[in-house]
Amino acid sequence: MKEVGYRFDVIVVGAGPAGSASAYTLAKKGFKVLLVERGRIPGSKNVFGGRVYADPLREVFDGFDDSAPIHRWVTKERISMVSGDAMTSFEFYMRKNTSFTTYLTELACWMAKKVEEVGGTVLTEITVDELVVENGKVTGIRVGDEKVSSEVVIDAEGINRLLLERAGLVPKLELRHAGLGVKEVIKLPKKEIEDLFSLKEGEGLAWLMMGDITGGLPGGAFLYTNKDSVSLGLVVMLGEAVKEVREHISRYVEALRLHPLLERYFRNGRIMEYSAHLVPEYTWPSLPHRLYADGLLVAGDAAGLLLNLGYNFRGVDYAAYSGYLAAKAVEKAHEMGGMTSENLSVYERLLEESFIVKQLRKFRNAPKMRENRRLYSTYPELLNSVMGQLFHSSYEVPKVMEAFKRARKGRVGWLDLISDLLEVVRSV
Amino acid sequence: MMRKPMRVDDILNNDVWDVDYEPHIRVDATKCRECEEKPCLLLCPAQCYTLAGDEVLFSYEGCLECGTCRLICPHDAIQWDYPVSGRGIHFRFS
Repeated sequence: MKEVGYRFDVIVVGAGPAGSASAYTLAKKGFKVLLVERGRIPGSKNVFGGRVYADPLREVFDGFDDSAPIHRWVTKERISMVSGDAMTSFEFYMRKNTSFTTYLTELACWMAKKVEEVGGTVLTEITVDELVVENGKVTGIRVGDEKVSSEVVIDAEGINRLLLERAGLVPKLELRHAGLGVKEVIKLPKKEIEDLFSLKEGEGLAWLMMGDITGGLPGGAFLYTNKDSVSLGLVVMLGEAVKEVREHISRYVEALRLHPLLERYFRNGRIMEYSAHLVPEYTWPSLPHRLYADGLLVAGDAAGLLLNLGYNFRGVDYAAYSGYLAAKAVEKAHEMGGMTSENLSVYERLLEESFIVKQLRKFRNAPKMRENRRLYSTYPELLNSVMGQLFHSSYEVPKVMEAFKRARKGRVGWLDLISDLLEVVRSV
Repeated sequence: MMRKPMRVDDILNNDVWDVDYEPHIRVDATKCRECEEKPCLLLCPAQCYTLAGDEVLFSYEGCLECGTCRLICPHDAIQWDYPVSGRGIHFRFS
């Protein structure tokens, strides 16, 4: 292994949201930063559902509002419970620039460009083979037979975290800690999207669906409107899907596209892209694994930092912000005299004090709640049965409670119902 | 077109790859022969794993690099690597 002559202060592995946020923050402070990405361009290996919360990115990147590739600001939230061809929806509209839709591939490119603007070096088409560990300290990366050295490496390689596994720093990800997301991006004329979903120009819809629309697999379906396309897909719990999947997983996504309640939206569409990615699904309050070592910090999906509430997902902004905090930890460790494990441990403290860990702690029961199968079959059916009785009774309309009692009968016992309700209230 | 079921291959045809010369995934076929569950057949989103008779056939070319197969394989038969520099799937709109 020959050593590349130039020595960096920091090497960041992976130009996704976490990696670019780290590299940007440190390059801006004058550190010599190398950001390496295995894809042809930043973002070309990234997939998300469809929406990003803006404020954490605003805090990290200067000029966010001037140039970030925002497709639509999400003004309309729709949550639907589906059973068969019946659907009960809850919709919320408010014009506010809080979260937006985009292509993550575009957003990651923008972030990496920001890194270059502040003097960071971004190299694409570089696959890192391993973290170089010498005397228990990470001293750089190996690419082919070349070593590139640095004071510290920030590992933002993503959820598959092969480098961390190879270095013996983390075990293989467990099935129950992963979800599988699969989606189609469907091209539609811009105007048609606005007509179909009653949106004004620049406004977007985030639509989450629960019930048998996921073909019996525990998880949820989503639809996000981009500028001139929609992202349609689902996220299923991998541990359960392994036991219960009955046909090829792409068929479950196709079933959304062909679903009697949804197919009307895609009549003039054509598929632009089909993609899949794993999603971290840890149960907190414990950190999934140690996020620092001598000469090393871990950020983003590799660190398992994603919040899934069932009705909302926070992945991209959590990743970017964890990258930002990793950068802050490097700054602090630098002031303290070096990139030792002890000095870098400040990263965990920064995470603990940030909204990321606070939120993950607060919603620590959400993953367990989402394991409750009644959420995916019984309750959507029950709700739709109640609504059916209330609105499809031509002569004798039952009282709400009467309809509810009828709908409940044979579906779920009172005790289960009450304990589920309490669990939902307690969890989210 | 959109209102009819499509072949997985036709759906995947919308994607772009720069296919590596060497596979980045290696499958130990002897383990597959003894595997009863074969969850890879249904859960690999790119359908890289198919059945021909009793044999699991594997092709790496259409891989989306999600890593699902590595996690779900009950017999640890899959050795999974990142494709070499710049190769593999090239997402543009995801």
